[in-house]
Amino acid sequence: MNPAPLEAVLLPETISELTGLGQFGILGDMIAAFLAAFFVGNLMLAMTGVAGPWAKRKITAAFTDRIAVNRVGPFGLLIIVASAVQLLAKELIIPEHVDRPAYDLAPVVIASSAMLGFAVIPMGSGIQLADPEVGLVFVFAIASIASVGLVMAGYASNNKFSMLGGLRAVAQNIAYEIPLIVTGASVVIFTGTLQMSGIVEAQQQALFTVAGIGIPAWFAIVNPFAFVLFLAANIAELGRNPFDTPEAPTEIVAGYQTEYSSVYFVLIYLGEFLHIFLGAAIITTIFLGGPTGPVLPGIVWFIIKIWAIFLFTQWLRSALPRVRIDQMIEIGWKGMLVLSFANLVLTAVIVGVFVA
Amino acid sequence: MSLEEPQPESTYVTDEGVDYDALESLLGAHVLGRETHLNAEAFVIRPDEVQEVLGLLKDEAGFDYLSCVTAQEYEDRYESIYHLKKYGDMTREVGVVVPVPRDDPVSQTAAPVYKTADWHEREAYDLVGIEYEGHPDLRRILLPETWQGHPLGLDYDQDKPQIVPYREHVNPIEGDYRDSDSDTMFINIGPHHPATHGVLHLKAVLDGEQVVDVDPDIGYLHRCEEQMCQQSTYRHQIMPYPDRWDYAPGGLMNEWAYARAVEDLADIDVPEYAQVIRTMGAELCRMCSHMLALGTFCLDIYGDFTAIFMYAMRDREKLQSILEDLTGQRMMFNYLRLGGVAWDLPEPREEFFEKTRDFLEDLPVATQEYHDLITSNEIFQIRTVGTGVLPPEAAKEYGATGPVARASGVDMDLRRDDPYGYYDELDWEVAVEHGCDNYSRLLVRMREVEQSAKIVEQCIDLLEEWPEEDREIQSNVPRTLKPDPDTEVYRGVEAAKGELGIYMRSDGTAKPARFKIRSPCFSNLSTLGEMAEGEYVADLIASLGSLDIILGEVDR
Repeated sequence: MNPAPLEAVLLPETISELTGLGQFGILGDMIAAFLAAFFVGNLMLAMTGVAGPWAKRKITAAFTDRIAVNRVGPFGLLIIVASAVQLLAKELIIPEHVDRPAYDLAPVVIASSAMLGFAVIPMGSGIQLADPEVGLVFVFAIASIASVGLVMAGYASNNKFSMLGGLRAVAQNIAYEIPLIVTGASVVIFTGTLQMSGIVEAQQQALFTVAGIGIPAWFAIVNPFAFVLFLAANIAELGRNPFDTPEAPTEIVAGYQTEYSSVYFVLIYLGEFLHIFLGAAIITTIFLGGPTGPVLPGIVWFIIKIWAIFLFTQWLRSALPRVRIDQMIEIGWKGMLVLSFANLVLTAVIVGVFVA
Repeated sequence: MSLEEPQPESTYVTDEGVDYDALESLLGAHVLGRETHLNAEAFVIRPDEVQEVLGLLKDEAGFDYLSCVTAQEYEDRYESIYHLKKYGDMTREVGVVVPVPRDDPVSQTAAPVYKTADWHEREAYDLVGIEYEGHPDLRRILLPETWQGHPLGLDYDQDKPQIVPYREHVNPIEGDYRDSDSDTMFINIGPHHPATHGVLHLKAVLDGEQVVDVDPDIGYLHRCEEQMCQQSTYRHQIMPYPDRWDYAPGGLMNEWAYARAVEDLADIDVPEYAQVIRTMGAELCRMCSHMLALGTFCLDIYGDFTAIFMYAMRDREKLQSILEDLTGQRMMFNYLRLGGVAWDLPEPREEFFEKTRDFLEDLPVATQEYHDLITSNEIFQIRTVGTGVLPPEAAKEYGATGPVARASGVDMDLRRDDPYGYYDELDWEVAVEHGCDNYSRLLVRMREVEQSAKIVEQCIDLLEEWPEEDREIQSNVPRTLKPDPDTEVYRGVEAAKGELGIYMRSDGTAKPARFKIRSPCFSNLSTLGEMAEGEYVADLIASLGSLDIILGEVDR
């Protein structure tokens, strides 16, 4: 039950070895780390870039019997460039009497908190920036910084709709953060470690064999109940449909992002997409066996898995009505919290009885 | 007609209709005189006895529905006409005429008797200039507060520019609504808001997430439709305007409201063949309109452009294509003519029939799809069942009609209760739900689509069988139509949103002396406060969506 801390090869080390930066001591390590972070950051940004202006439109269109972007470039892919130019070229309108440092910082906080989370995610093929022993706690902690950004955006915008959106965001995040983490903890009972690579490692052995194909011991298969709970709590935490009450365009216009335009708008949107991908990466890591899979290299599997979850969020968006805020909070505190604790206790008992 | 309910007020109603002599003796000394309108008799009363008379008619004689308040100015007086009906039987009508002198146009308000009089009297004050004494909130309703004069008055100078400095215009965000004693927050929902279905402005007071008070501010889309109709000739010039009221598109039903009123006013016959075409066209429009209502209501609940909206648009598109074949237009049909329709069905007729039949065949599948996607969705149910409740009594008080009233269990439908066109020859039902909530309003519309399909199907069968030599599409109507002077008529039809009524007074010329539109959306919107107060913001938006208002018709 207590696997030794894994000494996985991390991306900064690989880079410093390949480039020979290692010989420059701590400075070299720093440069290597920066290069590695630059690589991972850009990988995620590129995925967001594809997801936001193009994939989201195409997916929604497929769900709603439409064609969507198909004029610019093959499959309309160059719309990504066009949209980027368009969004960045827009005038940045800052309303009067906004709370200045907070108003400007909020988009940065929202976007960067999501980026930081990817630091500990094992993406396969040796792509992982760091692998601290408290990886899972780190990633939850970082992801919830976004709530601060949402409150800043809602409160500083000097707009009542933003204010309502900010308040809803906090209420919702508090209500769903706890079930999310408690459910995550039930996985830790199995693995006995918070280290991300350890959690991935624990899902490697075959659970059982069907027709000669070994079904891996992914926690989604070992404990599907926890998987569903985590998925739901994660959607709520991200504020995606059907739990998109903090934005709720038809009710409170766009909530905390009402007053943001141009680059700030892009940053907030970027942050939201990064958060979807970060949520997907966490689910992939702790429930879907991380970057492992047959034939294809790890990074490809990782990308396939997080895009599958992205697709899932878009599916929900096209199909489900929005829950009202009071119902939302009720589901969180009265339903999810109870279920997640029940899951935790049950898992602990089962693991304690059968494994020990 | 709801014959199953015993009518205590039956002394005032005989088999032939309303017993006006009995009503006159009920009102006794209040009656100063009697007028004959083409739709009903009207009693002339003193301006300070309005509440008493209306109260008697409502409580004793059972006239529980104030359909419309028409105000107009004569050379020597102002006049308010209260058009009363019964929800139980729409053909039982009576008018109450309240003349007031020109130099002192003050009349007692009817708002304490009928809540719907509140908005209608505000409109009368705004456009014509009659003041209603004791009115709870006599502000302008369609025009801005700073407007000079009353545009439908006789001595109003249309060419006079409205010189109102910009700074004097009411700026809703200027006022400081902060109140240190309470925890409520004032918020402007609209006029630019994704869910107001047009330019509607809701002044809302919130306590946290809950709505304490909501006051719809309308008039952003006011286009002087009544004025334009008064300046146009009956025969040709008015017909295009109704298309622009409910452009959802309720076009043919709106045109029919005008056609029906003029045909009564000038005693024009309509050939049966044309009536069948009208009936079919109107029901196609109704389906179109309900599809849009369904799609946009789901936008309000779902939040984003979802599958349902696109599916509703897809089905609506087929209808629009059929309507385009029929009328040559997709939105502003201008297809009805006085005494008939503009032209016969498109050639080749078989193609048109086939296209329409194809749609009708696919419709049950589509409807089932909507039920799978929407009404059986649990989240949708927790969002809409029991929210935005409009009790039947309140619906009647506010003069709600159409699907809004029917979803509150008020069994009324002018197509059945006051038959026109070809409806009484056909086999169909009135969809009534008793849930009184947002969910019921959606269900009523979905069931009405099915009933409309049934009607269209029967019309198609009739038209197909119709002998070729007997296809008369228009009766003979004089080139210049001049109805007899001083005839007045108020007629309504069942438009997609409810009773669309037209009041017209002829002065012997080719143009109406007064043209008043009773918009169903206008009255239906006034119920919003009743539905939304005490509910959550999200439900306010849902209730607004469930009312299915078209601002073009609210503001006219």
